[in-house]
Amino acid sequence: MSTESVVNKRVSKFKNMGKDLAKLREKRVSECVELRKAQKNESILKRRNIILSSLPDEEAVSPEHNDTLSFRIEDIIRDVNSEDREAQTRGCQAARKLLSKGCDPPFKEIVDAGLLSRFVSFLSMDDEPTLQFESAWALTNIASGNSWHTQQVVQQGAVPAFINLLASPMLHISEQAVWALGNIAGDGPAYRDILIGCNVIPALLARISPDTPVGYLRNLTWTLSNLCRNKKPCPPSFAVQQMLPPLVRLLHLSDKNILSDACWAISYLTDGSNDRIDLVVKTGIVPRLVELMNNKELFIVTPALRSIGNIVSGSDLHTQMAIDAGVLNVLPKLLRLPKPTVQKEAAWALSNIAAGPCQQIQQLITCGLLLPLVEVLRNGDFKTQKEAVWAVTNFTNGGTVEQVVSLVQSGALEAIINLLQVKDAKFILIILEAVNNMFIAAEKLGETEKLSLLIEELGGLEQIEMLQNHENEMVYQTAHDLIEKYFNDGDIEEVQVDTTQTEFEFKPPDVQKTFEF
Amino acid sequence: MELNDANLQTLTEFLRKTLDPDPTVRRPAEKFLESVEGNQNYPLLLLTLLEKSQDNVIRVCAAVTFKNYIKRNWRIVEDEPNKISDADRTAIKANIVNLMLSSPEQIQKQLSDAISIIGREDFPQKWPDLLTEMVTRFRSGDFHIINGVLRTAHSLFKRYRHEFKSNELWTEIKLVLGTFALPLTELFKATIELCQTHANDVNALKVLFSSLTLISKLFYSLNFQDLPEFFEDNMETWMTNFHGLLTLDNKLLQTDDEEEAGLLELLKSQICDNAALYAQKYDEEFQPYLPRFVTAIWNLLVSTGQEVKYDLLVSNAIQFLASVCERPHYKHLFEDQNTLTSICEKVIVPNMEFRSADEEAFEDNSEEYIRRDLEGSDIDTRRRAACDLVRGLCKFFEGPVTAIFSGYVNSMLSEYAKNPGLNWKHKDAATYLVTSLASKAQTQKHGITQANELVNLTEFFVNHILPDLQSSNVNEFPVLKADAIKYVMIFRSKLPKEQLLQAVPLLITHLQAESTVQHTYAAHALERLFTMRGPNNATLITSAEMAPFTEQLLTNLFKALTLPGSAENEYIMKAIMRSFSLLQEAIVPYIPTLIGQLTHKLLLVSKNPSKPHFNHYLFESLCLSVRITCKANPVTVSSFEEALFPVFTEILQNDVQEFLPYVFQVMSLLLEIHSNSIPASYMALFPHLLQPVLWERTGNIPPLVRLLQAFLEKGGASIAASAADKIPGLLGVFQKLIASKANDHQGFYLLNSIIENMPPESITQYRKQIFILLFQRLQSSKTTKFIKSFLVFINLYCVKYGAIALQEIFDSIQPKMFGMVLEKIIIPEVQKVSGTVEKKICAVGITKILTECPAMMDTEYTKLWTPLLQALIGLFELPEDDSIPDDEHFIDIEDTPGYQTAFSQLAFAGRKEHDPIGDAVGNPKILLAQSLHKLSTACPGRVPSMLNTSLNAEALKFLQGYLQVASVQLV
Repeated sequence: MSTESVVNKRVSKFKNMGKDLAKLREKRVSECVELRKAQKNESILKRRNIILSSLPDEEAVSPEHNDTLSFRIEDIIRDVNSEDREAQTRGCQAARKLLSKGCDPPFKEIVDAGLLSRFVSFLSMDDEPTLQFESAWALTNIASGNSWHTQQVVQQGAVPAFINLLASPMLHISEQAVWALGNIAGDGPAYRDILIGCNVIPALLARISPDTPVGYLRNLTWTLSNLCRNKKPCPPSFAVQQMLPPLVRLLHLSDKNILSDACWAISYLTDGSNDRIDLVVKTGIVPRLVELMNNKELFIVTPALRSIGNIVSGSDLHTQMAIDAGVLNVLPKLLRLPKPTVQKEAAWALSNIAAGPCQQIQQLITCGLLLPLVEVLRNGDFKTQKEAVWAVTNFTNGGTVEQVVSLVQSGALEAIINLLQVKDAKFILIILEAVNNMFIAAEKLGETEKLSLLIEELGGLEQIEMLQNHENEMVYQTAHDLIEKYFNDGDIEEVQVDTTQTEFEFKPPDVQKTFEF
Repeated sequence: MELNDANLQTLTEFLRKTLDPDPTVRRPAEKFLESVEGNQNYPLLLLTLLEKSQDNVIRVCAAVTFKNYIKRNWRIVEDEPNKISDADRTAIKANIVNLMLSSPEQIQKQLSDAISIIGREDFPQKWPDLLTEMVTRFRSGDFHIINGVLRTAHSLFKRYRHEFKSNELWTEIKLVLGTFALPLTELFKATIELCQTHANDVNALKVLFSSLTLISKLFYSLNFQDLPEFFEDNMETWMTNFHGLLTLDNKLLQTDDEEEAGLLELLKSQICDNAALYAQKYDEEFQPYLPRFVTAIWNLLVSTGQEVKYDLLVSNAIQFLASVCERPHYKHLFEDQNTLTSICEKVIVPNMEFRSADEEAFEDNSEEYIRRDLEGSDIDTRRRAACDLVRGLCKFFEGPVTAIFSGYVNSMLSEYAKNPGLNWKHKDAATYLVTSLASKAQTQKHGITQANELVNLTEFFVNHILPDLQSSNVNEFPVLKADAIKYVMIFRSKLPKEQLLQAVPLLITHLQAESTVQHTYAAHALERLFTMRGPNNATLITSAEMAPFTEQLLTNLFKALTLPGSAENEYIMKAIMRSFSLLQEAIVPYIPTLIGQLTHKLLLVSKNPSKPHFNHYLFESLCLSVRITCKANPVTVSSFEEALFPVFTEILQNDVQEFLPYVFQVMSLLLEIHSNSIPASYMALFPHLLQPVLWERTGNIPPLVRLLQAFLEKGGASIAASAADKIPGLLGVFQKLIASKANDHQGFYLLNSIIENMPPESITQYRKQIFILLFQRLQSSKTTKFIKSFLVFINLYCVKYGAIALQEIFDSIQPKMFGMVLEKIIIPEVQKVSGTVEKKICAVGITKILTECPAMMDTEYTKLWTPLLQALIGLFELPEDDSIPDDEHFIDIEDTPGYQTAFSQLAFAGRKEHDPIGDAVGNPKILLAQSLHKLSTACPGRVPSMLNTSLNAEALKFLQGYLQVASVQLV
């Protein structure tokens, strides 16, 4: 959109006196170019070195075992390529241990040595479980590398082999396959969809039974979450529908790690268009998610909050389901957690609820959200403040006059005015829009002058006056319009002249058409 | 255009001629250059000249011409021809960076500007190698070249500071970061090392420090939108070095200049900005560094002198502290009593002191001083920054800070007391400190509205302010006098009334002071005190309480206008207006003198109107004189006319555009005072008021309409009798106004006055045409505003001429027109009519249509009878429908030529609301009941049957209520 049309759209919003019903709900924007470091607290894409729950005791070697250094690549190559089972097993195990070492494992060397095709061929040797297991582990670790590494594994035909392996009667081998598939799915939407196309989901779900050990379920949940992950495109909806019922069941278990990964899975599935959200909320999981937002573990709260945040960015109906499930009772607590990322997510959710119809805004007031909102406006970190300002602006757009009055009285006006010094043009603009909306409400009550004085007392007039020097044209224009409209003391402007004639003519028009109103 | 010597020679000659002071030589040369600039190679010829010409003047001239050429032509506008050939574009981009870097500074600057203009359009897509080319130069080791690169980069990147986030923008920034961030960091480190190597070489240092300043600016731009991954990873390097530079001092770089900031100051100031940016936006990541910066900046403040050259640095540094100390999690950095004391003592107090620069402004540049001190345009000053810091600290530490400052205030006051002549500035600082400490919220209208409870304002007033106001020598210590006056003014809402009353005569005395600031403050203070409201919304200070001082007040105010520099002092004129308004009848005895002085002033300023506010208040004062005097004795209006008309005539004759809207308003006011006839002096003016030239100026329209309305009201009959030939011109004005969406309501005002006041027969021949015009507008561009005015008008017409006349004239224009208007306009839209009088007109008009129009009973219009009644009851009972269709919100602006609200309404020339129906109808609901009763007796049985078959139940209930109140029954 050109700057010009943004301006016009903006001005139209102002002149429309809040009657513009444009939806202000904001989806999570992940397509955006990012300058920052990637999010630190998101669940990990791929992983190495998970402790297999089902690993037979004698094999439970620490990956950091100190004998790794003694392996030489040449020996490994020789062993793996030999035709002797024992040597192959020894070579695979050595390779696996080498690939498990903490920093900078020699992925490239192993790939370049052409060992992957050997590993993959070992996967199908059901009569050699140890060899199967060691090669699966080695491949898992390589698949945990960067995209190129994963690609090498897939190109050797590992996907069908691993899916077959899921059915292995040896639990630890099956679990290793779960893990490898998780790493491949985590690489991105392309491999994720290849896996789905190979029917990985039914094969995974077949392993869930009341007897499945909890550790195995953890890994399986994580792999499922990677299958839910990524947009552009989203996972196919039939796959989502396959995964949702088991995910819902997993979400009712008590194991913390399972809960966390299942929540992450839901957060990915709800991060999309409204029909995606629809699929999720139809399972009836919303109340449970809200309950999990109240969990005492931050690593559960975070993805549960993200899920609910996504859901309230959907339709009014979706939002209402979250409200009915009690989200408004949990948000105050989360807004006060001394954890900026949680505060920010909570404020984002709040901003989307505030973008709803006035009935929802009323519930927001009734549940006491104004106070914590003002607190984060005052003391939150920058990103949280930004979301909170959106909440205020959305609120003033959709709220009734009485609701806007209670917002102003709660201290929100003062708080947003203090934020007018922020170094971010967009941020300033949304504050100015909130102020403008407050004036529209004040106009209806005949109290614009009172509001002008209040804003002046709070130092806002001076801030807005300064913004008339802002380099950003829209900020300048908006500030200027506000001053003109509500703070003007009647300056006199120039006028222009032309034409000379003695009198206007009263020219009765010729009636040609018939009138039709 | 070939790139050859002959063309270079020609171009050189023309460039030289563009520098000629003689316009007959210069202009044709400029024209010639413009005429050839479309030719291929033209820009390359310029580049060749600026590089190779032997004549330095020509080189610079070519550079400037080149830059302007780029500015005008580089951008490719859609649907317009490309003004620079692609070959030239490529050649320019290939050479300009090199050329810029190898040129002397004067030319470098022009080329650097040109690069940023080109970059704005072409970078990064169409100029992919620009950055790499620039970055390569970092390794040149030549800091003249490096600074050229940095300057260009700065002008390319600084827009990141104010543009909205977008994918496009962030993609560009990401690309810039990828190429630029690491080399910039390396350059930063290398430059700092070089500063140590060359610590004793002042010339080298100067260049290096300007590089560092530019690097710091680039840092700010690149970090503005979000914290880039690269800078997060390299925060340690940057912040450690920034911190080091903040604490660095080098004698060699200190300048002797007191005014102009030196390199050290500029660099440190930018570093403060960088730290503030991080503290505000990237708090989580910056937290480990912040305490160090607080300490460094505070030490910086303590060791920086009072010279003007440090102002920006000091103000930036204080603002940084002010923003940090308000944050709850940094509270602990300031909590310690010693820290607080030291900040108060070493940072705040010194920066509140009155400096010689302030003293100069007070004496020689009073306007600037007043603007800064009174109107708050002191944003970047030290005093202001210090005030903000006080306010920030008070958020958590109000008690301790107040206690610390009380000590300082007392000691400064006792210093003053020891030797006022020498130490008066201490008292100024003390007063300033008290003010900034006490003031928590402030408005222009009420002064300080919330004060720090720990400061005893009244006590300070009695002990320290009053003595200055009472001092027998009004011209001694003018700064302290001005401080004292300002104290009264800003704390007016917080001081008891008795003290304000005590201050009033003293303020009147200070109107005589020689100091412009001082007498201006006195006028302003009086004006503000006179606007204060007491209980019952009456003015706090009454006319009676002012009685003993009235004469002195008026005398001194007008005398103040004769003081040097105050001939058009808007504060004084506003105080005059406010005094009139407060004193009311008490000014009548003085009016003969005052009106002479005011008209004299008006005559003077009308020669060259330059102070709009002064002029506005002057006219307001005139209006007040007229109103107040004529209220008591209407006949005196003629003496005002005698005094004012000569000046007004001159204003009209000289077409003083700024004053015409005012003159029309004052004339309306005067004319409206006359009882029912128009004096000949006005009639002579009437034809002139219809001149189109007057109506072309938007600012004239409202006051002219009002003036014409006054003419019609007072002399409709005499216009019909003696100026009937002007009626078409009058209606022409109506036609012109009605055609504009912005001014159509003014057209209706005029039309309503014509219908109401002109003898019917005088306009009979125009009536049909008037309606046709209205219908045409209704058909072509129907707006809510137009419909509302239209409804009021047709109902007024109905009231005046009767319902039958209305129906007949509609139907004579087009068969069944009346029914269409009822069905499509009146019934669905009448709910939108706003205003008590307007609603009443509509109610009475519709009642007449319902009950006095036979066509409504006997024709196909009958089916509209009940819906119309229902609409009328809705008008009585339902809330007004204030909805406006979406596409209608901008018409006011779109339709006004140039969007000017040029009309300044005079508050004291206000017109009373006019009710054309007046007492004839007290309660329209009862009129409806009575009229229905009359109708039903004329045709028994019909009315009740129409009501019972189709009126909705709720409406019927309301109607029965009206019938009951009117004690009538339908038959």
